[in-house]
Amino acid sequence: MNDQILKVANELGVWIVAAPVVIMAAIQAIIYTKLARSTTKKLGIPDETCKTAFKTGLITAIGPVIAIFIIMVGMMSVIGGPISWMRLAIIGSAPTELTAAKTGADALGIQFGGPDYDLKAVATSWWTMAVNGAGWLVFVGLFCHKLEKLRTKVGGGDVKWLAVLSGAAMLGVFGYLNSGYVIKGGGNLIAVIVGAIAMVALVNITKKYPKIKEYSLGIAMLIGMFAAVLFA
Amino acid sequence: MDNKEFNQVWFKPVTKVGMWTLLTAAILSFLPSIYLYLVHGAAPSFSTALKAWGMIATLYGAFYVVEPISYYSILGLSGTYLSFLSGNISNLRLPCAGMALEVTDTKPGTKEAEVISTLGITGSVITNLIGVTLAAFVGTMLIKLFPPALADAFRNYTVPAILGAVFGQFAFKYPKLAVIGIGIPVLLRYTTGMSAWMLIIAAVFGTIGIARILYNKENKSNNTTSEA
Repeated sequence: MNDQILKVANELGVWIVAAPVVIMAAIQAIIYTKLARSTTKKLGIPDETCKTAFKTGLITAIGPVIAIFIIMVGMMSVIGGPISWMRLAIIGSAPTELTAAKTGADALGIQFGGPDYDLKAVATSWWTMAVNGAGWLVFVGLFCHKLEKLRTKVGGGDVKWLAVLSGAAMLGVFGYLNSGYVIKGGGNLIAVIVGAIAMVALVNITKKYPKIKEYSLGIAMLIGMFAAVLFA
Repeated sequence: MDNKEFNQVWFKPVTKVGMWTLLTAAILSFLPSIYLYLVHGAAPSFSTALKAWGMIATLYGAFYVVEPISYYSILGLSGTYLSFLSGNISNLRLPCAGMALEVTDTKPGTKEAEVISTLGITGSVITNLIGVTLAAFVGTMLIKLFPPALADAFRNYTVPAILGAVFGQFAFKYPKLAVIGIGIPVLLRYTTGMSAWMLIIAAVFGTIGIARILYNKENKSNNTTSEA
């Protein structure tokens, strides 16, 4: 993208109009945290447990967020700071957003980021990212509560089966997500395998040292990551 | 607390909040496009806008529906609203929800799990928002502190490493299902040119189906006298 276009994409006005979405994500998280806290009291869950759960989320997220941080800084030089900030605060990972931005340029028949990539093309890219993200937001916004009924039906009120069901769903989802990296091979495959083995080891180790339990996924991730760098 | 009461204090307010936050965010996400039009007069023509929409929906449209349905039994109601607003589901929300349950020894599928995993996810949302906001305002400065090799390692390998780690965490609990969970998609990738959204359905619901069969078998052998 040429400097003049990037200047517009980074101007103060764009920061201001990008902020509401980021703030919305924060507001939602705060409301749900409060709601969860008041519900845990009614359920008789100790305060300590709630704090641990929240802290675990906070800590486990650090590693992946560093990755998002690094990717985002790269993305800012391509599509501008404020729009990267807004898009990466909500649904749509960096590759999805860049695909949408590129698709917008394709619809105009212009090369993404090329010399013809003018302000109209930027507008088309931004529109395409917004309309794509809205697909998830609108579907979940409108139909999510219906999915609870579906779960009740599939679960049939059997708590033991519901636990197996969510375990099976997790393995299915992560089986699918890992399969792409397994097929790719090389460093990706090493990261997957070493990450998995490290986690199994840590699950066992943390039985003896429960204090480091909340760091275990982050540690396993780092071990997988460095193994990939060393052995790929 | 019985189901009726839980419905009143949890599901109802969660649904209300989820609906308005997601739909409002969907509308607000068009503000930058509106800004470009109002301030700079730049906007795609109506036909280009439709064309771009059609093109991107062809690529991702199936995921709008398949992902929420496939992830629902893990994330629960509030978890789904949170995850599909804040995104980064596989690398942040699911791992954090799972770890929150693991660390607090909460049984999945229960009322307690629904609420505790919510706290794990909101914790991750806060870290995420801090991260992207730092990147936005001081990112170009901070990135220089990272040795390039380290930055590359994070960029290239954090995602497969954390995906592998989460898989390991659950494989340890359900080793048989783990073989099915990874086996189905890997096999299908090698043998067919199946599109990604079909792979998700096959992997998730295939594994759930096998889990049900194994679960029924076990229950039968445990309760030989009475039918489960």
